[in-house]
Amino acid sequence: MFLAWKEIKYSKTRFALIIGVVVLVSYLVFFLTGLAYGLAQENRTSIDKWEATGIVLADESNLNINMSMFPKELVDEVDASETASLGVTSSVVQLVEDSEDDDDSKVNVTFFGVNEDEFIFPEILEGESLQNDNEVIADISLKEEEGYELNDELSLAGIDTTVTIVGFTDNAKFNVAPVLYTDQSTYQHIRASGFGERDDEIISAVVVQTDSGELEGVDLGTDDLEIFEIDEFISNLPGYNAQVLTFGFMIGFLVLIAAMIVGIFIYVLTLQKTSILGVMKAQGISSGYIGKSVVGQTLLLTLFGVLTGLGLTLITGLLLPNEVPYMNNILFFAGITTLLIVVALMGAFFSVRTVVKIDPIEAIS
Amino acid sequence: MKLIELKQVTKTFNDGRKKIEALKQTNFSVEEGEFVAVIGPSGSGKSTFLTIIGGLQTPTEGQVYINEEKFSELEEKKRAKKRFDEIGFILQASNLIPFLTVKDQLRLVNKINRSNFDKNNAKALLDELKINELSDKFPSDLSGGERQRAAIARALYHDPSVILADEPTASLDTDRAFEVVEILGRETKKKKKATIMVTHDERLTDYCDTVYVMKDGVLSKK
Repeated sequence: MFLAWKEIKYSKTRFALIIGVVVLVSYLVFFLTGLAYGLAQENRTSIDKWEATGIVLADESNLNINMSMFPKELVDEVDASETASLGVTSSVVQLVEDSEDDDDSKVNVTFFGVNEDEFIFPEILEGESLQNDNEVIADISLKEEEGYELNDELSLAGIDTTVTIVGFTDNAKFNVAPVLYTDQSTYQHIRASGFGERDDEIISAVVVQTDSGELEGVDLGTDDLEIFEIDEFISNLPGYNAQVLTFGFMIGFLVLIAAMIVGIFIYVLTLQKTSILGVMKAQGISSGYIGKSVVGQTLLLTLFGVLTGLGLTLITGLLLPNEVPYMNNILFFAGITTLLIVVALMGAFFSVRTVVKIDPIEAIS
Repeated sequence: MKLIELKQVTKTFNDGRKKIEALKQTNFSVEEGEFVAVIGPSGSGKSTFLTIIGGLQTPTEGQVYINEEKFSELEEKKRAKKRFDEIGFILQASNLIPFLTVKDQLRLVNKINRSNFDKNNAKALLDELKINELSDKFPSDLSGGERQRAAIARALYHDPSVILADEPTASLDTDRAFEVVEILGRETKKKKKATIMVTHDERLTDYCDTVYVMKDGVLSKK
């Protein structure tokens, strides 16, 4: 470490530049991870909120909840510790006072039709619970990003109905759109508008919670329904898997490339020093000592660079506007930090191999 | 006491099918406190001779003893360790590490040895070589003569029994060259080292006890 540190102090500019590169590259990796994670979460927070074990959909729906419809009575057939009926439909809402021609004020939302006595009913952060028809509990993002307030009246696209916001809840996004929770009868009204009047009340899914956390033993009682693990349901949300895979691979390759850049820098630095290192070896300084110093230097550079990059990312995360789907995840950040450092150290070991190979006779003659 | 001894040492290289005898059979020794010069034209085998003594390469035949211990037959790692402990090198363009100050060059020895920096010893040594006021300077801030004096300090600091100097005056003007050789001679006597200086400049041998000439791989006393 003595040599490593003294050299960094001596060639300040050179090492500042290298650390700069590490900082920028790791900043990029961390920030992209935060964005990707945030976006992935916006697909699923409303589902994670349930802490459910599984979800029952219509057999024909191919795991697409928008295509899953069955009569409400079938809920009673499902035999599990906790069940909750859920109606899902997407819609477009707008403040009543805004002009219908003003497209900027329209917001894509998802309506969840729920029963207050069932476990998927949201906790209320602000305002109160549903009392009457045509009342909704909205995701807090509608307040933070759109400026909606309690008691605001919203008109729905394609149907002559208005709903009133009576409460706000948090972490309620489904497929990147905020969720509006409403009671079953309002939901039936909104949903039916697309299909014409129906006699049966139609729901989309039954959310299931079991004591064991396993789906085994849950009896559906009918062939028209099928039960899925909640994770399977999430990864089959439209676009979710594609997004997660794309970002995952981008970030993975970025980490590899970033770490290789650091490794290459260290390697070039070592090559530049070949003659000095040769003289040191001629004096009897062991390859082991020199190698340790190379590895120590890499560790110093990457540790400092990566942690600065992480710090910058956290600061940026605080300063970002609410619209940006950015979210910190300690586990991912710790993993990437470790991965960057480990791969950079692997690069450093290549340099150590060069050190071992240096022939002191060539260096001194 | 013979600090350096070569017994029937030869070194041959294979150059294609031809065998080149870089060093013909040589018996040679240096006593404690003896300052030896080896002169000869370039390509005469001087450097081969020095690197064999320093253990950077092994002789084809024969043995090298350093401080009465078989040196050339040790395995490479042990040889490197012994080289570090017993031999001080002074090289042509100085063996200083560019990113360490003069004081840190000495301190590096302690770092490798895992011993404490001997402040008094370092100061005394630097004073003796008249470079104490330069102890916080980097090699690039020193003149050629100062650099070689720092290199001598580095070579003497860990108290080796042998000093090997390979053209230590090559980059210096005549006055500086004489000064450096004079210091080497003085320190050899005072600290009871065995010193070998390889040079191509015959004028510098005035300070030496024994002068050898190397010609075509044959070493002979002058």
